[in-house]
Amino acid sequence: MSEVFEPKIVAFVCTYCTYAGADLAGTSRLKYPSNVRIVRLPCTGRISPMFILKALQKGADGVLVSGCHPGDCHFDHGNYHARRRWTVFNSLLQFAGVPEERVKFSWISAAEGIKFAELIREITEDIRKIGPFEEYHKLIAETGSAAPL
Amino acid sequence: MATLLYSASLNDCIARWREDGLMVFGPSTAGGVSGFREVEDAGSLDLDLVLTRSTLKELFFPRTEPMLGYRIGKQQIETEEFIPPEGRRIIFGVRPCDAAGMQVDDALFDWDYHDAYWFRRRDSSVIFSIACTHSDAFCMCTSLGLAPDSTKGSDVLLRPLAAGNGWKVEALTERGENALSSISSLLKEGGDAPAPLTDVPVKFDLEACRRWLADPENFESRFWKEISERCIGCGSCTYLCPTCHCFDIQDEGDTYQGVRRKNWDSCSFSLFTMHTSGHNPRATQSARWRQRIMHKFNYFSLKFNVNSCTGCGRCTRECPVDMGVTETLQAISTLQR
Amino acid sequence: MSIQEHYRSRAKELLSSGTVKMVIGYGTGSTPDRRRPVFITSPDETDRLVLDKACRTNLSGYLLREGLLSDQKQVAVFFNLDGVRSLNILAAESQLETAQVLVLGFRIEGEEVTALQGERAADFKSLIAAAKEQRKSQPPHELQEKLEAMTPKERFSFWEAEFSRCIKCYACRQACPMCWCRRCVVDNNQPQWVNTSSHTLGNLEWNLLRAFHLAGRCVECGNCSRACPADIPLHLLNRRMSDEVQGSFDHYPGMDEAQEPVLASFRKDDPETFIL
Repeated sequence: MSEVFEPKIVAFVCTYCTYAGADLAGTSRLKYPSNVRIVRLPCTGRISPMFILKALQKGADGVLVSGCHPGDCHFDHGNYHARRRWTVFNSLLQFAGVPEERVKFSWISAAEGIKFAELIREITEDIRKIGPFEEYHKLIAETGSAAPL
Repeated sequence: MATLLYSASLNDCIARWREDGLMVFGPSTAGGVSGFREVEDAGSLDLDLVLTRSTLKELFFPRTEPMLGYRIGKQQIETEEFIPPEGRRIIFGVRPCDAAGMQVDDALFDWDYHDAYWFRRRDSSVIFSIACTHSDAFCMCTSLGLAPDSTKGSDVLLRPLAAGNGWKVEALTERGENALSSISSLLKEGGDAPAPLTDVPVKFDLEACRRWLADPENFESRFWKEISERCIGCGSCTYLCPTCHCFDIQDEGDTYQGVRRKNWDSCSFSLFTMHTSGHNPRATQSARWRQRIMHKFNYFSLKFNVNSCTGCGRCTRECPVDMGVTETLQAISTLQR
Repeated sequence: MSIQEHYRSRAKELLSSGTVKMVIGYGTGSTPDRRRPVFITSPDETDRLVLDKACRTNLSGYLLREGLLSDQKQVAVFFNLDGVRSLNILAAESQLETAQVLVLGFRIEGEEVTALQGERAADFKSLIAAAKEQRKSQPPHELQEKLEAMTPKERFSFWEAEFSRCIKCYACRQACPMCWCRRCVVDNNQPQWVNTSSHTLGNLEWNLLRAFHLAGRCVECGNCSRACPADIPLHLLNRRMSDEVQGSFDHYPGMDEAQEPVLASFRKDDPETFIL
């Protein structure tokens, strides 16, 4: 029997909402797959598309970007700016042939520990189904520098 | 009587070389862009092109190549040196200007340091050049003292036959002779007439230009600003030049592992000479264009007694704003009078 | 009087009266089908100006040459409508004042070159508004449609093949009037977000990043694709980005100099179909 594929997923989250949501999931003893590596940032407005490219460059099979719901931003409107950026970058990634399952965006508040755990489960399962991001990994291998993830 | 290779036998030659374990490269087109690529048969070769878009140098000096890898563990540091593969190669259908470029860079890569990356590939490659029966408005080899049938840098020179059905074959080096001996049964003897070579007009007086460039009075001339005003500072002229050889060494990776790579660099970029302090000795685009011309026709020739230009004309052919070496040297020729 | 004659004499007038210190236009190139940018500063040289259907380059990038506009004097530039739009964006992004730029406007339609009415960026507002409407109904691009119909895997290998040819000469960036950063993000190495090497991964990262940075700013003038020595269809990426900002945010770049950059502004009711 072949081994179950364990995808590597990087989550860029804002500290005020989604990170707190993840924390709540933990303190509530909710189970979610350990495939996700969380990178905490002050605000989704701080999350540059370059972060997503960097995660893929380092061999991630999937990326999640998540922050406060619209209207809830600690800095008032960081997530509104982020939303426009995501719309454009998401469209670009799809046009470039990055499958939509691999890069996901969500709003998760500090109170939504359950949503966080469910979403991570869902994303992990979706990526497990489509397998490793082989097309990208091939390009990484060509550079001669192995992915450290 | 001369040794002939008929086009009809070319496919068999390629097959023979490949059977002998050689890789065969030649001009071919992919995605609408011509360059030197490995081929499996004669049908993939684009031998009618005046010139390929990219140059022969890419096969010897790739635009990026790994030099060493490192991995830092808790106990030890591992390093790995990347040495280019030694596989023997036939490069068929090179134009004499591109081949001459190899010889120019031989001097550079064997100057204060013997560049193993370059010479390993040089030593394992045989260059079959084809003399030119066609040229375009940008060709200018004759202005550089070369010709459509220059032998510089080639191991074998092929002269097209008038009937268009093959080439007269002439080995120029031992490497060339060896490559021919393995296909000797496919070569014929005959007295077929060669096709006339293309007539490439001389576009400027190189010696006059060199005198002007060597005069320190002209270093700060207004000429440089005027001639390069429209330069946008991209690297297409340098990257598509058969002799430009500048490179940068970049580390790709992180604290724990990575690869040190040798990447093409271009004197057209403002960052090329930028100091850590922020000072840039070549602060303007005109200073950068001056450097390119001075390097090719003054400094390089003083040091190595050869011009770092073989007249392929790619700099002008591919320039987004229609600049190039030809225009500049023509203008300098005019300044002389 | 032909449009070329018309503009030659207008350029002569502008230079002799001292209204402008320079005219940036097109001149003959090294072959009959080529045009090259020329910088005319003397009324005696206006005969060097050429205007015909081969004049495709967007010249607005030259306005940002160091020191050119710092003396508050005016410069006249030959622009088609895309050029005027890029001028508006440069002004909106505080790179220049449109008051210093005099537009010699033209439009190329097939074989015909006609003059555009107006000499100030603001004079072209209604033409640009019409172009915006027209873009909404423009026929789809053949190759773009083909790409959209592919599976992600097929699209990825299409771009992989295209980007594998990139030589990182940065002609796309240098030719682009919108790439005015003094120091491009790829030239930073602390931190180094994208690989500078010209392997396919580095090329892919570079080209995606550039397309993103041009989203909502690109006027689709085509300078990048024309400049690319590897013939990569860069305009397709930009076109897709333009489709996106127009579709999602009704943003058509370069409407006027007061237009807010699309990625530096927002609406609370922006669409968000894909956010979980």
